[in-house]
Amino acid sequence: MRAARAQPTSLRFELPGGALALLEPSHDVPLVTLVLAMRSGSAADPGEKAGLARIAARMLRRGCDGLLAEQIDFRIDALGAEMAVETSPSTVAIHAQVIARNLDALIDLLARMISAPTFAEHELGRLKRETVSEIIEARDNDRVIAQKAMQRTLFAGHPYGRNAGGTTQTVPRIDRNDVVAFFQRHVVSGNLVVAFAGDVAADRVPGLAARLLAGVPRGPAPAQDVAEPTMAPGRKLLLVDKPERTQTQILLGTMGTSPSDEDHVPLLVANAIFGGTFTSRLMKEIRSKRGWSYGASARAAIDRHRQAWILWTFPAAQDVGPCLKLSIELLEQWVTGGVTTREVSFIQRYLARSHAFDVDTATKRMHQTLDVDLLGLAPNYFSGWVAHVRAVTAETANSAVKNRIDVDRLLAVVVGTAAEVLDPLRSAVPSVSDVVVVPFDAE
Amino acid sequence: MPREKQRRAWAEELNASATSDGSRLTYDGTVAFGNEALHRWRLGNGLTVLVLVDRAAPVVAYHTWYSVGSRHEQPGKTGLAHLFEHLMFGETEHLGAGVFDRKLEESGAETNAATWVDWTYYHELLPADRVKLAVKLEAERMHRLILREPQVASEKEVVANERRFRVEDDVEGLANELLYKTAFLDHPYRWPTIGWMQDIQGFTPEDCVAFYKTYYAPNNATVVVVGDVRERDLLMAVRDAYGAIPGQPIPPEDIVPEPIQIEERRTELRKPSASEKLLVAFKGPALADGDHALLTMLSEVLFGGRASRLYRSLVVDRELAIDVRGWVSTFRDPGLFECWVTARESRTALEILPVLDEALSRVKADVVGNDELARAKARLELGSLQQLETASGKAEQIGFFEVVLGEPAHPFRRVEAFRRATAADLRRVARRYLVDGARTVLRVVPERPSAEAAQ
Repeated sequence: MRAARAQPTSLRFELPGGALALLEPSHDVPLVTLVLAMRSGSAADPGEKAGLARIAARMLRRGCDGLLAEQIDFRIDALGAEMAVETSPSTVAIHAQVIARNLDALIDLLARMISAPTFAEHELGRLKRETVSEIIEARDNDRVIAQKAMQRTLFAGHPYGRNAGGTTQTVPRIDRNDVVAFFQRHVVSGNLVVAFAGDVAADRVPGLAARLLAGVPRGPAPAQDVAEPTMAPGRKLLLVDKPERTQTQILLGTMGTSPSDEDHVPLLVANAIFGGTFTSRLMKEIRSKRGWSYGASARAAIDRHRQAWILWTFPAAQDVGPCLKLSIELLEQWVTGGVTTREVSFIQRYLARSHAFDVDTATKRMHQTLDVDLLGLAPNYFSGWVAHVRAVTAETANSAVKNRIDVDRLLAVVVGTAAEVLDPLRSAVPSVSDVVVVPFDAE
Repeated sequence: MPREKQRRAWAEELNASATSDGSRLTYDGTVAFGNEALHRWRLGNGLTVLVLVDRAAPVVAYHTWYSVGSRHEQPGKTGLAHLFEHLMFGETEHLGAGVFDRKLEESGAETNAATWVDWTYYHELLPADRVKLAVKLEAERMHRLILREPQVASEKEVVANERRFRVEDDVEGLANELLYKTAFLDHPYRWPTIGWMQDIQGFTPEDCVAFYKTYYAPNNATVVVVGDVRERDLLMAVRDAYGAIPGQPIPPEDIVPEPIQIEERRTELRKPSASEKLLVAFKGPALADGDHALLTMLSEVLFGGRASRLYRSLVVDRELAIDVRGWVSTFRDPGLFECWVTARESRTALEILPVLDEALSRVKADVVGNDELARAKARLELGSLQQLETASGKAEQIGFFEVVLGEPAHPFRRVEAFRRATAADLRRVARRYLVDGARTVLRVVPERPSAEAAQ
């Protein structure tokens, strides 16, 4: 019988040149998850070339010394592996998973990819065309349209407002020199973390990580220069017009929380009451009582700096006015009226007990440890989570909401068919100062 | 004590205090689930219980699979099985509206449900010490659900909104629905599991009560428990909670087998969309058919991963498409082998179809290469392992294969079938199933060009 695990037990290995290796072991299934992460992300992209970090990372798979793109793809599949790039404002990461017996071969392949990428012009051209097509294809997804509109409007002028994948205008501007410069600046030892989870022995990790990073130049992590985002006062409505919508996507957004806030955890606890579970206030009022939407939720995102707080729901077109109006009323009640001690006790039990599912796989535990490093979180951000949640009171939760969620700085983004929904929407946002309608392919 | 002998002793011991025939436990044996042991139990009322003790994490996955899906519905009443996925979280004789979810959330549990053509299942993921709550709640809603207005009307509206989300405003959802409606003429697989909108809006509480009384019974259900549990304690809780629920006669299925398709069917869907899509579907084997694993492997050679033939050809070399996918329906009765291609914004399905046809012709004419076969096997092995990473993943595999095939450890037989497959096997199934004159072709045409294409 194996011992049950409840908390991350990640092992840390300091590597020469400032790189870091992590391991969260588990031998239950013969799989290994491998993440090679940079402490830089899309926030480092030049505004007119948004998408550069993601393009540069994807180019690593498009050819290296001695291997063409096609040969790399063939090898990855032959190893029983998957590899993908994830980009956020603060990080770029190559995520891979491989059948355990092929880990060494995957390490050797990835080492070649990152030590001597060719960045061939024809491959860059191909990737840029592919990326533009992906951006256009994503317009079939109304939720993605809404999210992009929220991000670029809420954080207008700030690096967090740039889409990590770029736009149809910015991606074609990226040239080989940009990619090479990004690679040289960011793929340096002091900027990298290698994390393993799964069926790999601890004593092998330093050697595997050293092999992986053998060809990476030494150097410190580049300086980050990202200001704290702010939002202008006023309530704004942005309608993204798309034809033939029977349904709408509603996002309500404002500035949220930063992990360094003293009231960070109280805000997350209060938010869970408002829109974080199936029995939350939002779900009860919008779905259970009225049947207006399949879902309704609120989320406070986390990054190195203050991120957005966003409410999401998606009612039928005929219900969009009343649903948006009710959403704003519920938000105002939450901010002014607060949450009750009973609600706090309930959600504390939920958050503390459900913590078991935050750490029930090695990959999840590894990601927690990785996030602590990449996002500069307090070392006990996750390991102390349950204690932090239990320390929240109704007073601290309500103070956090009042302090951080400003209902007078509010952006409502709706994706719908303007001819049908614009009029009901105008009256749904009290004190709205600005109503803007843009086409669904606006960037 | 050997595990079989120990379990028979448990059954004897637990049955000594059984209060009815329905609550008597029978141990039906143990099967290997990879390197783990899966124990099969049955209650006197017909409830099947499958238990896999897994102490990798202090959590338990508790799944309840009912052998009822959209195949059991009638025209005019489509979507009823799926509506239950919503109604089952409502009021019961002992629990007020919303209490089911609150009790689970208070225990830190996650819960949800899913419905498809052959089955419906409800699942909870709980901290290990809370498993008995799931036992009590699932037993309660198996037998004591209250179905009345205004709850039924409210859930119908939620489902209508789900349909708008997944189908009406989603081009792929709409295309998938039209594909099955066109490919199947008689079999219930022709209607969507979520149901036609007018059927959803027409359900009455009486429809729901009749469906519930017919299909929600212990002898039509399988409980799957995977996680950090004490098996004997769990069985006692199951016996006490479910034992008094009577089994009921399950009506024999009234399925009309789908006639053999002998012609090509072509259809078109015009909707606002960023790009054209091409769907080509051939009639495929049932999940139980030995050819299913082989056709799945052929699909992998053609569509799986960036080294696959059609990814290379359509996405990389010709730059006609942005995405290619292949899938063999995992249904109890023969379903489809679906080929999906998403065109780039300025390209058309008409340009793509000849390339797809050429690739399909090649796998019928020639055997695939050894390297292609090896890549497909490696990718399928990876996929199989990924499904076993969590307690929930294991429970889902066990429940699915038990309900569809009656063989909960089938995932491991599939892996063996993948390992044994030869290039000649793949050519044989290509010739058998990729019949040019008996396929369904659907083209999605954007109703108006995107901004870029118009410029």
